[in-house]
Amino acid sequence: MTKYILNRLFHSALVMFTISFIVFFIMFKAGDPVELMLPPDATQQDVVDMRAALGLDKSFIVQYQKFLVNVSKGNLGNSFIYGQPALDIVFERMPATMELAVIAMFISVLVGIPLGIISSIKPNSILSRIIMFFSLAGISVPVFWTGMILVLIFSVILGVLPSSGRGEVYLFTSAFTWDGIKHLIMPVATLAVFQLALILRLTRTGMMEVLMQDYIKLAAAKGVPRKVIVYYHALKNTLIPLITIIGIQFGQLVAFTIVTETIFAWPGTGKLIIDSIQNLDRPIVVAYLLVISFIFVAINFVVDVLYTFVDPRVRV
Amino acid sequence: MKKIIMGLATVALLCSVGNAKTLKVGLASGALSMDPYAHNETATNSILSNIFDALISFDKDINTHPGLAVSWTNPEPTVWIMNLRKGVKFHNGSDFNADDVVFSFNRVKTWNKSGFKGKVSAIDSVEKIDDYTVKFITKKPYPVFLRKLTYVNILDKETLEGKSDQWIGLNPIGTGPYKLTSWSKGDHIKMDANKDYWRGVAKFDKVLFRPLTNNATRVAAILSNEVDIINRVPVVDVNRVKNNDKLNFFVQPGLRLIYLQMDQDRDKSPYIKSHDGKNPLKDVRVRKAIYYGINEDAIVKYVMKGFAKPAAQLSPSAVFGYDPSIKRPSYNPKKAKALLAEAGYPNGFEIQLDSPNNRYINDAQIAQAVASSLAKIGIKVKVNATPKSTFFKETGKLNTSFFLIGWASSDGDASSILDGCVHTYDAETGYGRYNRGRYSNPKVDALIEESAGIMDPKKRLEVLRAAQKLAIVDDQNFIPLHYQVDIYASSKDIQFETRVDSRIWAYDIK
Repeated sequence: MTKYILNRLFHSALVMFTISFIVFFIMFKAGDPVELMLPPDATQQDVVDMRAALGLDKSFIVQYQKFLVNVSKGNLGNSFIYGQPALDIVFERMPATMELAVIAMFISVLVGIPLGIISSIKPNSILSRIIMFFSLAGISVPVFWTGMILVLIFSVILGVLPSSGRGEVYLFTSAFTWDGIKHLIMPVATLAVFQLALILRLTRTGMMEVLMQDYIKLAAAKGVPRKVIVYYHALKNTLIPLITIIGIQFGQLVAFTIVTETIFAWPGTGKLIIDSIQNLDRPIVVAYLLVISFIFVAINFVVDVLYTFVDPRVRV
Repeated sequence: MKKIIMGLATVALLCSVGNAKTLKVGLASGALSMDPYAHNETATNSILSNIFDALISFDKDINTHPGLAVSWTNPEPTVWIMNLRKGVKFHNGSDFNADDVVFSFNRVKTWNKSGFKGKVSAIDSVEKIDDYTVKFITKKPYPVFLRKLTYVNILDKETLEGKSDQWIGLNPIGTGPYKLTSWSKGDHIKMDANKDYWRGVAKFDKVLFRPLTNNATRVAAILSNEVDIINRVPVVDVNRVKNNDKLNFFVQPGLRLIYLQMDQDRDKSPYIKSHDGKNPLKDVRVRKAIYYGINEDAIVKYVMKGFAKPAAQLSPSAVFGYDPSIKRPSYNPKKAKALLAEAGYPNGFEIQLDSPNNRYINDAQIAQAVASSLAKIGIKVKVNATPKSTFFKETGKLNTSFFLIGWASSDGDASSILDGCVHTYDAETGYGRYNRGRYSNPKVDALIEESAGIMDPKKRLEVLRAAQKLAIVDDQNFIPLHYQVDIYASSKDIQFETRVDSRIWAYDIK
């Protein structure tokens, strides 16, 4: 186990190093942020001064080297645009994105798996058909459409939910205040619709496949109660692919809440990263992608460990 | 029944007026920093104008008025004596005096990340005479001095000395009508009224600015009554807002000109294919042909949905230097073709039009419309629309022959576009930094340089107009397209007036 973890850590470090290099290089090539930052009445000298102030007058190798030295001291540089430490800005925005992702995923799992099981046991019942109809809709409808329709109905027409913003925040999250919860409902619903439908469908397919297996038939023949077969033997064997997908999807939720955040003016990292790419704010883009890849690496690690609990054959 | 409803509505209205102590504003973009010298950018300037004061202030039509300076004299053309307002306090209680002015101007000028150096570059020195008198010396006679001063917000020396850039970027301490109470980046900026404000306390106790960058989100927020004002109402939603009887709708002509620049320097331009291999844009007849050949009315009508004003010159009427005698000729493809034939290009030529696609309102679509207009007179235009980061980088390297760009005369004076875009490029003096078509006419240069030293407004206006006329009418150095307009919506519960400089100054809202 220790060897495995060390190995994993080494790989993760390598991945993050590569990412930092690629992002740094792309942002270096993309354009000149100073050109966008200074007003038109700035002189050529002002441009030169500003470049020097931001360290952009150096060659790529020198800039990257300096970046690596700073990283080793835990400093990812200051944002060109906001002038504050890039990591601070990313972490300031991270809770807002995380709370959306965590709550959306929690609801998707909590609702998606049971509904998937129900629709797999009696795939032709009316209830199953209704569930499948909505799951198909959920998986097909684009996120921005769901978001806009929710806003139209609940904010503009009914006026019961706030259309945008994060509301009152208590202890890093808006989930602990009533005002915050009201602000959370629509963005969470928008994000959860697709995830819920996906998890539901995967559970159903997996369950239906497992339920056809010989060992299930054997268990039934032995007289094992139906409930035990479904919720213990069959479900456990369905969970492995499901956990993988949930892990990947959670990473996706954190990294790609951009559309939802834009629609609901949610102050998370998705909006930050779009703005920063447009402004060529390299320190933020690099810091953000490093944080995100760290999260992905961590999720994958957790998923791998979870396997061992679900499937004793898997050894890490 | 109708009466009851009307009654209820009135009661509701009265209630909402009674409680309306917080003004909520939905903005298309938020502030980048709370340091008033970090970014000279409209959205940030707009928000910070509520917290800070400058020595001189603009009214809604960008005329200059006393701000923290009560009066001034100009004993010699290069010397300005400013008398400061007494009894003004910063938000943290410290007094405003001459030391703060000297400190502020030095910081704007010397801070290596200052975005406002261009506003003070002509100022040679700032000196304290006594606690409430400051002497400015400019390098040359400087007629736009007062206008430039409106951009320099005054900071508190006692508080800021020794503080880091980071700290200043988060803690704005000004003398303005509102003080910052919280800034949650990307979510909101909250301000409380400054009870000691020297103009008198503001009408609203609190102001809340929310960046609602998505167009549909911003509109939903005002339709559902969550905010009282929004700026940049998207053109597609104009009717929804107009037809809503709870909302007022405003169209304010802005300061930004959208225009085309043409390579008039190189004999062979990189993105032009002509039958003789030369650069046709060097010929004024070709440039005139392009001007006549663009159906700007159609662009305003179909691309801008009516929300733009066709332009015939460099700046709109609110700007000093505007010339009412220059009128836009009507669209005339026949004349355009004749001019092309006269210049030796009866069958036109091929050219690439570069345009940003995320900088100005409908920028890429305007470029497309220009292309289809010019196709009718035989000029084959290929549009190359790229994000602004790429666009400004490439045009800066002159890797272009023909491009669409904008310019806002935010000082309210025509000198900014004349200096920056019309004057011959000169890296040393800073003239012509955005003259990326490299238009050059020594006569125009001489007039521009002359105008910079004329203190008599009447005479100066004549020279500015003469320079513009030579460049735009005689030489057709640019193709003006239109001026952008700002569109706002506000709740009928408040009294809101739009400003030419696109700012939202809460102090004026009742």
